[in-house]
Amino acid sequence: MNIKKISWLTITYLVLVAFALVYLMPFIRSLVASFMTWEQASKYPPEWIPNPFTLDNYRKLFRLELFPRWILNTSLYAGIIVAGNVIFSSMAGYAFARLRFPGRDALFSALLSLLMIPMFVTLVPNYIIIYKLGLIDNILGLSLLGLTNVSSIFLMRQYFLSISNEIFEAARLDGCGPIKSFFYIALPLAKPALGAIAVYQFLGSWNAFIGPLIFLRSPENFTLPVGLTFAFHRSMWTEYTPIIAGSLVASAPTIILFIVLNKYLIRGIVVTGGKG
Amino acid sequence: MHFSFSSIYEKTKTKELIAGLALVSVAVLLNMVFGYFAMAFAFYLSFFKWDYIGSMKFVGLSNYKIVFEDIIRGIHGAPYLLSPFYTGLKNILIYTAIVVPIQTFLAIVLAAFANQKIKGQQFFKVSYFLPATTSSVIVALIFVWLFMRNGFINYILTHFIPGFQPIDWLNNRNYLLLAIAMVAIWGTSGHFMVSFLAAMQAIPKEIYEAAMLDGAGPIKRFFYITIPMLKPMITYVVVMGLIGALQMFDLAWVMAGANGGPGGAGYTVALDIYNEAFTRIRPGVAAAKSWVLFAIIFTTTYIFQRKYGRAVR
Repeated sequence: MNIKKISWLTITYLVLVAFALVYLMPFIRSLVASFMTWEQASKYPPEWIPNPFTLDNYRKLFRLELFPRWILNTSLYAGIIVAGNVIFSSMAGYAFARLRFPGRDALFSALLSLLMIPMFVTLVPNYIIIYKLGLIDNILGLSLLGLTNVSSIFLMRQYFLSISNEIFEAARLDGCGPIKSFFYIALPLAKPALGAIAVYQFLGSWNAFIGPLIFLRSPENFTLPVGLTFAFHRSMWTEYTPIIAGSLVASAPTIILFIVLNKYLIRGIVVTGGKG
Repeated sequence: MHFSFSSIYEKTKTKELIAGLALVSVAVLLNMVFGYFAMAFAFYLSFFKWDYIGSMKFVGLSNYKIVFEDIIRGIHGAPYLLSPFYTGLKNILIYTAIVVPIQTFLAIVLAAFANQKIKGQQFFKVSYFLPATTSSVIVALIFVWLFMRNGFINYILTHFIPGFQPIDWLNNRNYLLLAIAMVAIWGTSGHFMVSFLAAMQAIPKEIYEAAMLDGAGPIKRFFYITIPMLKPMITYVVVMGLIGALQMFDLAWVMAGANGGPGGAGYTVALDIYNEAFTRIRPGVAAAKSWVLFAIIFTTTYIFQRKYGRAVR
Protein backbone atom coordinates (compact mmCIF):
# COMPACT_ATOMS: atom_id res chain seq x y z
CA MET A 1 0.00 0.00 0.00
CA ASN A 2 2.67 2.44 1.03
CA ILE A 3 4.97 1.52 -1.84
CA LYS A 4 2.03 1.93 -4.19
CA LYS A 5 1.37 5.39 -2.80
CA ILE A 6 5.00 6.47 -3.09
CA SER A 7 5.37 5.20 -6.61
CA TRP A 8 2.15 6.96 -7.59
CA LEU A 9 3.46 10.20 -6.10
CA THR A 10 6.73 9.76 -7.97
CA ILE A 11 4.90 9.33 -11.27
CA THR A 12 2.83 12.42 -10.49
CA TYR A 13 5.88 14.55 -9.88
CA LEU A 14 7.72 13.15 -12.90
CA VAL A 15 4.82 14.00 -15.20
CA LEU A 16 4.22 17.44 -13.70
CA VAL A 17 7.89 18.43 -13.75
CA ALA A 18 8.42 17.08 -17.27
CA PHE A 19 5.52 19.16 -18.56
CA ALA A 20 6.56 22.21 -16.58
CA LEU A 21 9.87 21.92 -18.45
CA VAL A 22 8.08 21.61 -21.79
CA TYR A 23 6.00 24.72 -21.09
CA LEU A 24 8.84 26.78 -19.66
CA MET A 25 11.67 25.72 -21.96
CA PRO A 26 10.99 28.14 -24.85
CA PHE A 27 11.06 31.03 -22.37
CA ILE A 28 14.25 29.84 -20.67
CA ARG A 29 15.93 29.10 -23.96
CA SER A 30 15.06 32.55 -25.35
CA LEU A 31 16.12 34.31 -22.18
CA VAL A 32 19.55 32.69 -22.36
CA ALA A 33 19.89 33.25 -26.10
CA SER A 34 18.96 36.92 -25.85
CA PHE A 35 22.35 37.47 -24.17
CA MET A 36 24.23 35.57 -26.88
CA THR A 37 25.59 36.58 -30.23
CA TRP A 38 23.64 35.10 -33.13
CA GLU A 39 26.69 33.06 -33.96
CA GLN A 40 26.47 31.31 -30.62
CA ALA A 41 22.67 31.14 -30.44
CA SER A 42 22.49 29.28 -33.75
CA LYS A 43 25.10 26.70 -32.83
CA TYR A 44 24.28 23.01 -32.97
CA PRO A 45 24.25 21.36 -30.47
CA PRO A 46 22.82 24.31 -28.51
CA GLU A 47 24.96 26.06 -25.92
CA TRP A 48 23.65 27.25 -22.59
CA ILE A 49 26.09 29.79 -21.23
CA PRO A 50 26.39 33.08 -23.13
CA ASN A 51 29.99 33.47 -24.16
CA PRO A 52 30.65 36.30 -24.64
CA PHE A 53 27.82 37.68 -22.52
CA THR A 54 26.38 40.48 -24.62
CA LEU A 55 23.68 43.11 -24.25
CA ASP A 56 24.02 43.93 -27.93
CA ASN A 57 20.66 42.44 -28.88
CA TYR A 58 18.82 44.72 -26.48
CA ARG A 59 20.96 47.69 -27.52
CA LYS A 60 20.14 47.09 -31.19
CA LEU A 61 16.49 46.91 -30.32
CA PHE A 62 16.34 50.19 -28.46
CA ARG A 63 18.56 51.89 -30.99
CA LEU A 64 15.85 51.10 -33.49
CA GLU A 65 13.90 54.34 -33.35
CA LEU A 66 10.53 52.66 -33.66
CA PHE A 67 10.83 50.12 -30.87
CA PRO A 68 10.16 52.56 -27.99
CA ARG A 69 7.35 54.02 -30.12
CA TRP A 70 5.78 50.56 -30.41
CA ILE A 71 5.96 50.09 -26.64
CA LEU A 72 4.24 53.46 -26.18
CA ASN A 73 1.55 52.65 -28.75
CA THR A 74 0.84 49.28 -27.19
CA SER A 75 0.58 50.83 -23.72
CA LEU A 76 -1.78 53.51 -25.01
CA TYR A 77 -3.96 50.95 -26.75
CA ALA A 78 -4.02 48.62 -23.74
CA GLY A 79 -4.73 51.57 -21.42
CA ILE A 80 -7.73 52.73 -23.45
CA ILE A 81 -9.16 49.22 -23.74
CA VAL A 82 -8.77 48.51 -20.02
CA ALA A 83 -10.30 51.87 -19.03
CA GLY A 84 -13.15 51.48 -21.50
CA ASN A 85 -14.02 48.01 -20.29
CA VAL A 86 -13.78 48.91 -16.62
CA ILE A 87 -16.09 51.90 -17.11
CA PHE A 88 -18.60 50.84 -19.75
CA SER A 89 -18.82 47.13 -19.01
CA SER A 90 -19.34 47.68 -15.31
CA MET A 91 -22.04 50.26 -16.08
CA ALA A 92 -23.82 47.88 -18.41
CA GLY A 93 -23.27 44.87 -16.16
CA TYR A 94 -24.80 46.74 -13.22
CA ALA A 95 -27.83 47.86 -15.20
CA PHE A 96 -28.43 44.39 -16.60
CA ALA A 97 -28.16 42.83 -13.14
CA ARG A 98 -29.78 45.36 -10.84
CA LEU A 99 -32.12 47.72 -12.67
CA ARG A 100 -35.47 46.98 -14.21
CA PHE A 101 -36.34 48.55 -17.52
CA PRO A 102 -38.32 47.35 -20.52
CA GLY A 103 -36.30 45.38 -23.05
CA ARG A 104 -33.54 44.63 -20.58
CA ASP A 105 -33.47 40.87 -21.02
CA ALA A 106 -33.89 41.09 -24.78
CA LEU A 107 -30.97 43.52 -25.03
CA PHE A 108 -28.82 41.31 -22.86
CA SER A 109 -29.48 38.16 -24.83
CA ALA A 110 -28.86 40.12 -28.03
CA LEU A 111 -25.41 41.00 -26.68
CA LEU A 112 -24.74 37.41 -25.61
CA SER A 113 -25.60 36.11 -29.08
CA LEU A 114 -22.71 38.18 -30.42
CA LEU A 115 -20.33 35.77 -28.68
CA MET A 116 -21.16 33.22 -31.36
CA ILE A 117 -20.16 35.47 -34.25
CA PRO A 118 -16.62 34.80 -35.44
CA MET A 119 -14.57 37.99 -35.58
CA PHE A 120 -13.80 37.38 -39.25
CA VAL A 121 -17.43 38.01 -40.17
CA THR A 122 -17.37 41.54 -38.79
CA LEU A 123 -13.77 42.32 -39.75
CA VAL A 124 -14.24 43.75 -43.25
CA PRO A 125 -17.34 45.83 -42.40
CA ASN A 126 -15.64 47.22 -39.30
CA TYR A 127 -12.65 48.15 -41.42
CA ILE A 128 -15.00 50.04 -43.72
CA ILE A 129 -16.77 51.77 -40.81
CA ILE A 130 -13.49 52.90 -39.25
CA TYR A 131 -12.26 53.92 -42.71
CA LYS A 132 -15.37 56.05 -43.27
CA LEU A 133 -14.84 57.66 -39.88
CA GLY A 134 -11.35 58.62 -41.05
CA LEU A 135 -9.77 56.68 -38.18
CA ILE A 136 -7.65 54.15 -40.05
CA ASP A 137 -4.02 54.18 -38.91
CA ASN A 138 -5.12 55.66 -35.60
CA ILE A 139 -4.90 53.92 -32.23
CA LEU A 140 -8.13 55.64 -31.18
CA GLY A 141 -10.01 54.23 -34.14
CA LEU A 142 -8.74 50.77 -33.35
CA SER A 143 -9.66 51.17 -29.67
CA LEU A 144 -13.24 52.02 -30.54
CA LEU A 145 -13.78 48.38 -31.51
CA GLY A 146 -12.72 46.99 -28.15
CA LEU A 147 -14.05 49.66 -25.80
CA THR A 148 -16.65 47.29 -24.45
CA ASN A 149 -16.67 43.56 -24.61
CA VAL A 150 -19.54 41.14 -24.21
CA SER A 151 -17.49 38.82 -21.98
CA SER A 152 -16.65 41.64 -19.56
CA ILE A 153 -20.29 42.76 -19.45
CA PHE A 154 -21.28 39.16 -18.75
CA LEU A 155 -18.69 38.83 -15.98
CA MET A 156 -19.74 42.11 -14.34
CA ARG A 157 -23.42 41.15 -14.53
CA GLN A 158 -22.71 37.79 -12.88
CA TYR A 159 -20.77 39.56 -10.18
CA PHE A 160 -23.46 42.15 -9.45
CA LEU A 161 -26.07 39.39 -9.36
CA SER A 162 -24.06 37.63 -6.67
CA ILE A 163 -24.12 40.65 -4.32
CA SER A 164 -26.97 40.31 -1.88
CA ASN A 165 -30.05 42.39 -2.50
CA GLU A 166 -30.37 43.88 1.01
CA ILE A 167 -27.59 46.39 0.66
CA PHE A 168 -29.22 47.86 -2.45
CA GLU A 169 -32.64 47.84 -0.78
CA ALA A 170 -31.25 49.71 2.22
CA ALA A 171 -29.68 52.28 -0.05
CA ARG A 172 -32.94 52.76 -1.93
CA LEU A 173 -34.85 53.29 1.34
CA ASP A 174 -32.31 55.93 2.26
CA GLY A 175 -33.22 57.71 -0.94
CA CYS A 176 -30.23 56.68 -2.96
CA GLY A 177 -31.05 56.70 -6.70
CA PRO A 178 -29.90 53.98 -9.08
CA ILE A 179 -26.96 55.97 -10.46
CA LYS A 180 -25.81 57.02 -7.01
CA SER A 181 -25.97 53.47 -5.70
CA PHE A 182 -23.94 52.32 -8.70
CA PHE A 183 -21.09 54.70 -7.85
CA TYR A 184 -21.22 54.51 -4.07
CA ILE A 185 -22.23 50.92 -3.43
CA ALA A 186 -21.88 48.67 -6.46
CA LEU A 187 -18.52 49.90 -7.77
CA PRO A 188 -16.59 49.75 -4.50
CA LEU A 189 -17.94 46.25 -3.90
CA ALA A 190 -16.96 45.14 -7.39
CA LYS A 191 -13.21 45.62 -7.06
CA PRO A 192 -12.32 41.91 -7.47
CA ALA A 193 -14.40 41.63 -10.65
CA LEU A 194 -13.06 44.92 -11.99
CA GLY A 195 -9.55 43.67 -11.32
CA ALA A 196 -10.25 40.47 -13.19
CA ILE A 197 -11.59 42.21 -16.30
CA ALA A 198 -8.79 44.78 -16.17
CA VAL A 199 -6.11 42.08 -16.15
CA TYR A 200 -7.95 40.01 -18.73
CA GLN A 201 -8.44 42.94 -21.09
CA PHE A 202 -4.85 44.05 -20.58
CA LEU A 203 -3.59 40.64 -21.69
CA GLY A 204 -5.94 40.64 -24.65
CA SER A 205 -5.10 44.12 -25.91
CA TRP A 206 -1.38 43.94 -25.23
CA ASN A 207 -1.21 40.71 -27.23
CA ALA A 208 -3.74 41.65 -29.93
CA PHE A 209 -2.55 41.04 -33.45
CA ILE A 210 -5.11 40.94 -36.20
CA GLY A 211 -6.87 44.20 -35.24
CA PRO A 212 -3.67 46.27 -35.09
CA LEU A 213 -2.40 44.54 -38.24
CA ILE A 214 -5.41 45.65 -40.24
CA PHE A 215 -6.30 49.00 -38.72
CA LEU A 216 -2.80 50.45 -38.39
CA ARG A 217 -0.89 51.32 -41.53
CA SER A 218 2.34 53.22 -40.84
CA PRO A 219 5.21 51.62 -38.91
CA GLU A 220 5.33 54.46 -36.35
CA ASN A 221 1.76 53.62 -35.33
CA PHE A 222 2.29 49.87 -34.95
CA THR A 223 1.87 47.99 -31.70
CA LEU A 224 4.59 45.61 -30.49
CA PRO A 225 3.29 42.33 -31.97
CA VAL A 226 2.75 43.91 -35.39
CA GLY A 227 6.01 45.83 -35.24
CA LEU A 228 8.02 42.75 -34.37
CA THR A 229 6.57 40.64 -37.18
CA PHE A 230 7.12 43.58 -39.51
CA ALA A 231 10.77 43.81 -38.43
CA PHE A 232 11.02 40.07 -38.88
CA HIS A 233 9.40 39.96 -42.31
CA ARG A 234 11.43 42.78 -43.79
CA SER A 235 14.49 41.11 -42.29
CA MET A 236 15.84 44.25 -40.74
CA TRP A 237 18.15 41.83 -39.07
CA THR A 238 19.82 38.89 -40.72
CA GLU A 239 20.48 37.56 -37.25
CA TYR A 240 17.63 36.37 -35.11
CA THR A 241 18.80 37.22 -31.60
CA PRO A 242 17.43 40.81 -31.55
CA ILE A 243 14.00 39.41 -32.48
CA ILE A 244 14.23 37.01 -29.55
CA ALA A 245 15.23 39.86 -27.26
CA GLY A 246 12.36 41.94 -28.64
CA SER A 247 9.91 39.11 -28.08
CA LEU A 248 11.00 38.86 -24.47
CA VAL A 249 10.68 42.61 -23.92
CA ALA A 250 7.24 42.53 -25.53
CA SER A 251 6.01 39.67 -23.36
CA ALA A 252 7.69 40.83 -20.14
CA PRO A 253 4.76 42.99 -18.92
CA THR A 254 2.18 40.25 -19.35
CA ILE A 255 4.44 37.61 -17.83
CA ILE A 256 5.30 39.76 -14.82
CA LEU A 257 1.68 40.79 -14.39
CA PHE A 258 0.62 37.16 -14.52
CA ILE A 259 3.22 35.99 -12.02
CA VAL A 260 2.26 38.76 -9.60
CA LEU A 261 -1.50 38.50 -10.05
CA ASN A 262 -1.96 34.88 -11.09
CA LYS A 263 -4.52 34.07 -8.40
CA TYR A 264 -6.65 37.00 -9.50
CA LEU A 265 -6.39 36.16 -13.15
CA ILE A 266 -7.02 32.47 -12.79
CA ARG A 267 -10.11 33.29 -10.76
CA GLY A 268 -11.25 35.59 -13.57
CA ILE A 269 -10.78 32.87 -16.12
CA VAL A 270 -12.68 30.45 -13.97
CA VAL A 271 -15.53 32.94 -13.66
CA THR A 272 -15.68 33.75 -17.38
CA GLY A 273 -15.19 30.26 -18.63
CA GLY A 274 -15.79 27.92 -15.81
CA LYS A 275 -19.09 27.30 -14.16
CA GLY A 276 -21.93 29.06 -15.89
CA MET B 1 -51.68 58.17 1.14
CA HIS B 2 -52.13 55.41 -1.35
CA PHE B 3 -52.00 57.86 -4.23
CA SER B 4 -48.75 59.47 -3.09
CA PHE B 5 -47.12 56.10 -2.54
CA SER B 6 -47.88 55.00 -6.07
CA SER B 7 -46.57 58.29 -7.45
CA ILE B 8 -43.29 57.76 -5.60
CA TYR B 9 -43.28 54.25 -6.98
CA GLU B 10 -43.88 55.59 -10.48
CA LYS B 11 -41.12 58.13 -9.98
CA THR B 12 -38.55 55.51 -8.95
CA LYS B 13 -39.65 53.38 -11.86
CA THR B 14 -38.98 56.13 -14.40
CA LYS B 15 -35.74 56.92 -12.62
CA GLU B 16 -34.71 53.29 -12.95
CA LEU B 17 -35.70 53.25 -16.61
CA ILE B 18 -33.67 56.34 -17.43
CA ALA B 19 -30.69 55.23 -15.35
CA GLY B 20 -30.79 51.74 -16.86
CA LEU B 21 -30.90 52.96 -20.42
CA ALA B 22 -28.18 55.52 -19.74
CA LEU B 23 -25.87 52.93 -18.18
CA VAL B 24 -26.22 50.38 -20.96
CA SER B 25 -26.25 52.93 -23.80
CA VAL B 26 -22.54 52.99 -24.68
CA ALA B 27 -22.12 49.23 -24.50
CA VAL B 28 -25.27 48.55 -26.48
CA LEU B 29 -24.55 51.22 -29.09
CA LEU B 30 -20.99 50.01 -29.74
CA ASN B 31 -22.06 46.38 -29.92
CA MET B 32 -24.95 47.19 -32.21
CA VAL B 33 -22.68 49.07 -34.61
CA PHE B 34 -19.56 46.88 -34.57
CA GLY B 35 -21.47 43.66 -33.97
CA TYR B 36 -24.94 43.55 -35.49
CA PHE B 37 -24.66 46.28 -38.08
CA ALA B 38 -21.27 44.93 -39.19
CA MET B 39 -22.69 41.44 -39.45
CA ALA B 40 -25.63 42.61 -41.55
CA PHE B 41 -23.31 44.73 -43.64
CA ALA B 42 -21.06 41.71 -44.26
CA PHE B 43 -24.10 39.85 -45.55
CA TYR B 44 -25.07 42.77 -47.80
CA LEU B 45 -21.49 43.15 -48.99
CA SER B 46 -21.31 39.49 -49.99
CA PHE B 47 -23.67 40.24 -52.92
CA PHE B 48 -21.62 43.12 -54.28
CA LYS B 49 -18.46 43.67 -56.23
CA TRP B 50 -16.47 46.56 -54.84
CA ASP B 51 -12.95 47.92 -54.43
CA TYR B 52 -13.58 50.18 -51.36
CA ILE B 53 -13.43 53.35 -53.51
CA GLY B 54 -15.66 53.08 -56.58
CA SER B 55 -19.36 52.34 -56.58
CA MET B 56 -20.72 48.99 -55.41
CA LYS B 57 -22.00 46.72 -58.14
CA PHE B 58 -24.68 44.15 -57.33
CA VAL B 59 -23.55 40.73 -58.55
CA GLY B 60 -26.07 38.43 -56.89
CA LEU B 61 -24.62 35.13 -55.77
CA SER B 62 -21.49 35.30 -57.88
CA ASN B 63 -19.20 35.89 -54.86
CA TYR B 64 -20.50 32.66 -53.35
CA LYS B 65 -20.05 31.04 -56.76
CA ILE B 66 -16.38 32.04 -56.63
CA VAL B 67 -16.06 30.31 -53.25
CA PHE B 68 -17.76 27.08 -54.32
CA GLU B 69 -15.93 26.89 -57.65
CA ASP B 70 -12.72 27.26 -55.66
CA ILE B 71 -13.72 24.30 -53.48
CA ILE B 72 -14.65 22.16 -56.50
CA ARG B 73 -11.39 23.00 -58.26
CA GLY B 74 -9.56 22.01 -55.09
CA ILE B 75 -11.36 18.68 -54.85
CA HIS B 76 -10.33 17.99 -58.44
CA GLY B 77 -6.73 18.51 -57.41
CA ALA B 78 -5.99 22.05 -58.61
CA PRO B 79 -2.79 23.62 -57.21
CA TYR B 80 -3.26 25.69 -54.08
CA LEU B 81 -2.94 29.06 -55.79
CA LEU B 82 -5.99 28.23 -57.92
CA SER B 83 -8.00 26.97 -54.97
CA PRO B 84 -6.88 29.03 -51.97
CA PHE B 85 -10.12 28.63 -50.03
CA TYR B 86 -10.14 24.87 -50.47
CA THR B 87 -6.48 24.70 -49.40
CA GLY B 88 -7.20 26.80 -46.32
CA LEU B 89 -10.25 24.75 -45.49
CA LYS B 90 -8.47 21.42 -45.86
CA ASN B 91 -5.55 22.60 -43.74
CA ILE B 92 -7.71 24.06 -41.02
CA LEU B 93 -9.78 20.86 -40.74
CA ILE B 94 -6.65 18.73 -40.41
CA TYR B 95 -5.22 21.24 -37.95
CA THR B 96 -8.41 21.25 -35.86
CA ALA B 97 -8.53 17.46 -35.86
CA ILE B 98 -4.98 17.40 -34.47
CA VAL B 99 -5.13 20.30 -32.05
CA VAL B 100 -8.50 20.07 -30.33
CA PRO B 101 -8.38 16.42 -29.14
CA ILE B 102 -4.74 16.61 -28.05
CA GLN B 103 -5.05 19.91 -26.21
CA THR B 104 -8.23 18.78 -24.44
CA PHE B 105 -6.75 15.41 -23.48
CA LEU B 106 -3.49 16.96 -22.30
CA ALA B 107 -5.33 19.60 -20.27
CA ILE B 108 -7.46 16.97 -18.50
CA VAL B 109 -4.55 14.66 -17.76
CA LEU B 110 -2.34 17.45 -16.41
CA ALA B 111 -5.20 18.83 -14.32
CA ALA B 112 -5.85 15.35 -12.89
CA PHE B 113 -2.20 14.96 -11.93
CA ALA B 114 -2.05 18.43 -10.40
CA ASN B 115 -5.33 17.94 -8.54
CA GLN B 116 -3.77 15.95 -5.70
CA LYS B 117 -2.31 16.77 -2.33
CA ILE B 118 1.09 17.79 -3.69
CA LYS B 119 3.56 20.53 -2.99
CA GLY B 120 4.05 23.24 -5.61
CA GLN B 121 0.63 23.09 -7.21
CA GLN B 122 0.76 26.84 -7.68
CA PHE B 123 4.13 26.58 -9.44
CA PHE B 124 2.79 24.02 -11.93
CA LYS B 125 -0.33 26.06 -12.56
CA VAL B 126 1.73 29.17 -13.30
CA SER B 127 4.18 27.28 -15.54
CA TYR B 128 1.44 25.68 -17.61
CA PHE B 129 -0.51 28.88 -17.92
CA LEU B 130 2.47 31.06 -18.85
CA PRO B 131 2.32 30.38 -22.63
CA ALA B 132 -1.29 31.56 -22.64
CA THR B 133 -0.29 34.96 -21.27
CA THR B 134 2.07 35.63 -24.14
CA SER B 135 0.96 36.92 -27.53
CA SER B 136 0.58 34.10 -30.03
CA VAL B 137 2.54 36.15 -32.57
CA ILE B 138 5.45 36.52 -30.21
CA VAL B 139 5.27 32.87 -29.30
CA ALA B 140 5.35 32.08 -33.02
CA LEU B 141 8.38 34.33 -33.54
CA ILE B 142 10.27 32.44 -30.85
CA PHE B 143 9.20 29.09 -32.27
CA VAL B 144 10.38 30.02 -35.77
CA TRP B 145 13.83 30.05 -34.28
CA LEU B 146 13.31 26.88 -32.23
CA PHE B 147 12.01 25.03 -35.32
CA MET B 148 15.01 25.91 -37.52
CA ARG B 149 16.87 23.01 -39.05
CA ASN B 150 19.71 23.46 -36.61
CA GLY B 151 17.32 24.47 -33.92
CA PHE B 152 16.49 23.41 -30.42
CA ILE B 153 13.47 21.24 -31.22
CA ASN B 154 15.36 19.03 -33.64
CA TYR B 155 18.09 18.73 -31.04
CA ILE B 156 15.67 17.62 -28.32
CA LEU B 157 13.87 15.19 -30.64
CA THR B 158 17.08 13.55 -31.87
CA HIS B 159 17.99 12.99 -28.24
CA PHE B 160 14.69 11.52 -27.12
CA ILE B 161 13.62 9.59 -30.21
CA PRO B 162 16.15 7.09 -31.41
CA GLY B 163 16.83 7.33 -35.14
CA PHE B 164 15.13 10.71 -35.50
CA GLN B 165 16.53 12.73 -38.39
CA PRO B 166 16.41 16.55 -38.10
CA ILE B 167 13.54 18.06 -40.11
CA ASP B 168 13.42 21.46 -41.75
CA TRP B 169 9.99 21.98 -40.16
CA LEU B 170 9.01 25.34 -41.59
CA ASN B 171 10.30 24.79 -45.12
CA ASN B 172 8.93 21.31 -45.57
CA ARG B 173 5.34 21.14 -46.75
CA ASN B 174 4.79 17.86 -44.94
CA TYR B 175 5.70 19.22 -41.52
CA LEU B 176 4.74 22.90 -41.53
CA LEU B 177 1.16 22.39 -40.38
CA LEU B 178 2.27 19.92 -37.75
CA ALA B 179 4.76 22.45 -36.38
CA ILE B 180 2.02 25.09 -36.18
CA ALA B 181 -0.26 22.58 -34.43
CA MET B 182 2.45 21.79 -31.90
CA VAL B 183 2.84 25.48 -31.05
CA ALA B 184 -0.92 25.86 -30.70
CA ILE B 185 -1.14 22.88 -28.36
CA TRP B 186 1.74 24.23 -26.32
CA GLY B 187 0.11 27.65 -26.18
CA THR B 188 -3.44 26.78 -25.19
CA SER B 189 -3.47 23.47 -23.31
CA GLY B 190 -2.21 25.13 -20.12
CA HIS B 191 -5.04 27.62 -20.21
CA PHE B 192 -7.58 24.83 -20.45
CA MET B 193 -5.75 22.85 -17.78
CA VAL B 194 -6.46 25.66 -15.33
CA SER B 195 -10.15 25.56 -16.26
CA PHE B 196 -10.25 21.80 -15.74
CA LEU B 197 -8.42 22.07 -12.45
CA ALA B 198 -11.02 24.54 -11.17
CA ALA B 199 -13.84 22.27 -12.31
CA MET B 200 -12.19 19.26 -10.64
CA GLN B 201 -11.83 21.10 -7.36
CA ALA B 202 -15.55 21.77 -7.44
CA ILE B 203 -16.34 18.03 -7.47
CA PRO B 204 -17.50 17.02 -3.96
CA LYS B 205 -14.81 15.17 -2.04
CA GLU B 206 -17.33 12.68 -0.61
CA ILE B 207 -17.78 11.00 -3.96
CA TYR B 208 -14.07 10.20 -4.13
CA GLU B 209 -13.98 9.06 -0.53
CA ALA B 210 -16.87 6.69 -1.11
CA ALA B 211 -15.15 5.28 -4.18
CA MET B 212 -11.92 4.84 -2.25
CA LEU B 213 -13.74 2.87 0.43
CA ASP B 214 -15.04 0.64 -2.34
CA GLY B 215 -11.42 0.09 -3.34
CA ALA B 216 -11.29 2.14 -6.53
CA GLY B 217 -7.72 3.14 -7.41
CA PRO B 218 -6.73 6.52 -8.86
CA ILE B 219 -7.14 5.40 -12.48
CA LYS B 220 -10.61 3.96 -11.87
CA ARG B 221 -11.62 7.08 -9.95
CA PHE B 222 -10.42 9.20 -12.88
CA PHE B 223 -12.50 7.34 -15.47
CA TYR B 224 -15.62 6.66 -13.41
CA ILE B 225 -15.89 9.88 -11.41
CA THR B 226 -13.74 12.69 -12.72
CA ILE B 227 -14.49 12.35 -16.45
CA PRO B 228 -18.30 12.08 -16.10
CA MET B 229 -18.39 14.97 -13.63
CA LEU B 230 -16.34 17.11 -16.01
CA LYS B 231 -18.65 16.63 -18.97
CA PRO B 232 -19.96 20.23 -19.12
CA MET B 233 -16.42 21.58 -18.87
CA ILE B 234 -15.18 19.21 -21.56
CA THR B 235 -17.96 20.41 -23.87
CA TYR B 236 -17.05 24.02 -23.14
CA VAL B 237 -13.33 23.47 -23.76
CA VAL B 238 -13.90 21.55 -26.98
CA VAL B 239 -16.31 24.18 -28.31
CA MET B 240 -13.88 26.99 -27.42
CA GLY B 241 -11.05 24.98 -28.95
CA LEU B 242 -13.03 24.41 -32.15
CA ILE B 243 -13.92 28.08 -32.50
CA GLY B 244 -10.29 29.09 -31.94
CA ALA B 245 -8.75 26.45 -34.19
CA LEU B 246 -11.10 27.01 -37.12
CA GLN B 247 -10.23 30.72 -37.12
CA MET B 248 -6.48 30.27 -36.68
CA PHE B 249 -4.57 33.23 -38.10
CA ASP B 250 -1.68 34.56 -36.01
CA LEU B 251 0.47 31.43 -35.89
CA ALA B 252 0.09 30.78 -39.61
CA TRP B 253 0.82 34.42 -40.42
CA VAL B 254 4.20 34.26 -38.68
CA MET B 255 5.25 30.63 -39.13
CA ALA B 256 4.04 30.13 -42.70
CA GLY B 257 3.69 33.72 -43.96
CA ALA B 258 0.63 35.40 -45.49
CA ASN B 259 0.83 33.07 -48.51
CA GLY B 260 0.84 29.92 -46.46
CA GLY B 261 4.46 28.83 -46.87
CA PRO B 262 5.74 26.03 -49.12
CA GLY B 263 2.95 24.58 -51.24
CA GLY B 264 0.41 26.51 -49.16
CA ALA B 265 0.85 23.91 -46.42
CA GLY B 266 0.21 26.50 -43.70
CA TYR B 267 -2.56 28.41 -45.47
CA THR B 268 -5.78 28.88 -43.49
CA VAL B 269 -9.29 30.13 -44.21
CA ALA B 270 -8.63 33.15 -41.98
CA LEU B 271 -5.50 34.02 -43.99
CA ASP B 272 -7.54 33.65 -47.17
CA ILE B 273 -10.24 36.04 -45.91
CA TYR B 274 -7.53 38.52 -44.97
CA ASN B 275 -5.87 38.23 -48.38
CA GLU B 276 -9.17 38.51 -50.19
CA ALA B 277 -10.08 41.68 -48.33
CA PHE B 278 -6.75 43.46 -48.16
CA THR B 279 -4.41 41.99 -50.81
CA ARG B 280 -6.74 41.07 -53.66
CA ILE B 281 -9.07 43.97 -52.68
CA ARG B 282 -12.27 41.99 -53.10
CA PRO B 283 -14.23 42.79 -49.92
CA GLY B 284 -17.37 41.18 -51.36
CA VAL B 285 -15.65 37.85 -51.86
CA ALA B 286 -14.04 38.18 -48.42
CA ALA B 287 -17.49 38.72 -46.89
CA ALA B 288 -18.87 35.67 -48.70
CA LYS B 289 -15.94 33.58 -47.47
CA SER B 290 -16.42 34.81 -43.92
CA TRP B 291 -20.08 33.75 -44.02
CA VAL B 292 -19.04 30.31 -45.25
CA LEU B 293 -16.54 30.13 -42.38
CA PHE B 294 -19.28 31.16 -39.96
CA ALA B 295 -21.53 28.42 -41.31
CA ILE B 296 -18.75 25.86 -40.81
CA ILE B 297 -17.99 27.00 -37.25
CA PHE B 298 -21.66 27.16 -36.37
CA THR B 299 -22.51 23.68 -37.69
CA THR B 300 -19.42 22.08 -36.13
CA THR B 301 -20.00 23.53 -32.68
CA TYR B 302 -23.76 22.98 -32.94
CA ILE B 303 -23.36 19.31 -33.83
CA PHE B 304 -20.86 18.84 -31.04
CA GLN B 305 -23.10 20.48 -28.48
CA ARG B 306 -26.15 18.52 -29.64
CA LYS B 307 -24.21 15.32 -29.29
CA TYR B 308 -22.34 15.91 -26.05
CA GLY B 309 -24.53 18.12 -23.94
CA ARG B 310 -25.81 21.63 -23.94
CA ALA B 311 -23.70 24.76 -24.08
CA VAL B 312 -22.20 25.76 -20.78
CA ARG B 313 -23.12 29.39 -21.07
